[in-house]
Amino acid sequence: MDRPIKTIQDKNSYLDLRKQERVTLLEILDRALEKGVVISGDIVISVADVDLVYLGLKVLLSSVETMEHLRGAPMAGAQEGPT
Amino acid sequence: MTMNRTIETDSQEAFIEEIEKVQDMLPKRIDANPKNVEKGLAKLVLTLVELIRKLLEKQAMRRIEGGSLSEEEIEHMGETLLKLENKMQELKEIFGLKDEELNLNLGPLGDLM
Amino acid sequence: MRIYAYGIIDFHNRLEEPIEGLEGKGIYNVSYRDIGVTVSELNEETKEITDTCILEHEKVVERLMIKFTVLPMRFLTVFNTQEDLLSMVGFYYEDFKNNLERLRNKVEFGIKVIWPTDTIKQRIINAWNKSNHSLSIPADSKAKSFLKEKFKQQQIEKEFQEEANRCIAVVDDYFNKIAVEKKLKKLQTENLLLNASYLVDKDRQNEFKQAFEQLKNAPSDLKFLFSGPWPCYNFITLTKKPASVDYFNTEDMLNRLLAQQGFAKERNAV
Repeated sequence: MDRPIKTIQDKNSYLDLRKQERVTLLEILDRALEKGVVISGDIVISVADVDLVYLGLKVLLSSVETMEHLRGAPMAGAQEGPT
Repeated sequence: MTMNRTIETDSQEAFIEEIEKVQDMLPKRIDANPKNVEKGLAKLVLTLVELIRKLLEKQAMRRIEGGSLSEEEIEHMGETLLKLENKMQELKEIFGLKDEELNLNLGPLGDLM
Repeated sequence: MRIYAYGIIDFHNRLEEPIEGLEGKGIYNVSYRDIGVTVSELNEETKEITDTCILEHEKVVERLMIKFTVLPMRFLTVFNTQEDLLSMVGFYYEDFKNNLERLRNKVEFGIKVIWPTDTIKQRIINAWNKSNHSLSIPADSKAKSFLKEKFKQQQIEKEFQEEANRCIAVVDDYFNKIAVEKKLKKLQTENLLLNASYLVDKDRQNEFKQAFEQLKNAPSDLKFLFSGPWPCYNFITLTKKPASVDYFNTEDMLNRLLAQQGFAKERNAV
């Protein structure tokens, strides 16, 4: 989209609504704002990207114990024993 | 052959409050302006730092529970984690960020934390 | 003139009944092979749209649902030209066909549940205090006391999550067998235990409503919200991904993450 359209939350007119109307609006927002057929690419993180981020973190943060175990190095303070 | 759409609840106010909270947490479609850029970057960086900090805490607990650390190491670990938590609190205050704001929505995988 | 899209329908001819959309403009159907995109024109000058316009969007989709199977577009899907619109439909054609088939004669229902967070937490804390599960280290320093407290918090949080899982399973049990598909979101906020969407056959709507009546009448300290039938917003699955995205491009990924945090960089639509 070359000329983006802003959505603005019209707080004043929202507060004028009765409770039932507010619930209705919120229920619709809960669906139509982020769900349905979602086309634009810059807000949604597609599945492949999610895998990448998730996998990246997993590799980054694997337990120190496991890593040391795999390397065969003794953990500081551990008893002597088979690795 | 569709019923008319109905919305039925015995607690309108409670649900209004919660759904509004959820809506507030969604990424907003606002054009960037210089002020927002800083806050956006701070949020991103702090979110990742917070993630690592929480994971470190969990890992530390597991090791302490597992009994593989000396008392000195436990003490040192505790001091470090305490300092980290306090530092994070400071940073959150400096940037005016709340706990709920430091989260990332990973689409189908749900929230990061 | 920009084009505002409301939904994909399993119909490629002209719409017989007039339907009014945003800015009072009439809806028309743009056909692509054996399906159509229902749209209306948006004034060039339109720079802002209020969130309450979503009510008009929704009204159009629900009107279309009476006669057709509709894949509702996300609110505010706008195209600069008809060519852009058609190339989008062409790109997702198979996905659209599959979804139209899967969602034929189906509707969506929403169930939200609020639980008494404080009561639940208190219950868990009380149980913890009675038990002997605290971290077995001496509380003889600030650091160690911190660790003991942190451990307690983590265990309580863990139990809190598991209690949520149990509670959700009980609620879901009422609807599981009636629904064809479901999407369950746990604890979007501390109080909002469950935000569930169920895909239900049109013929089983009443059955579903009755299941909710049973749930509502069962003794519990939960609050419920029932809504529907809705267009199937939560059950659209698109398998195709825009080709121009490089998944291993860090800069691209960083831009996406920044966009998530409210810093939307201006970029061309894919």
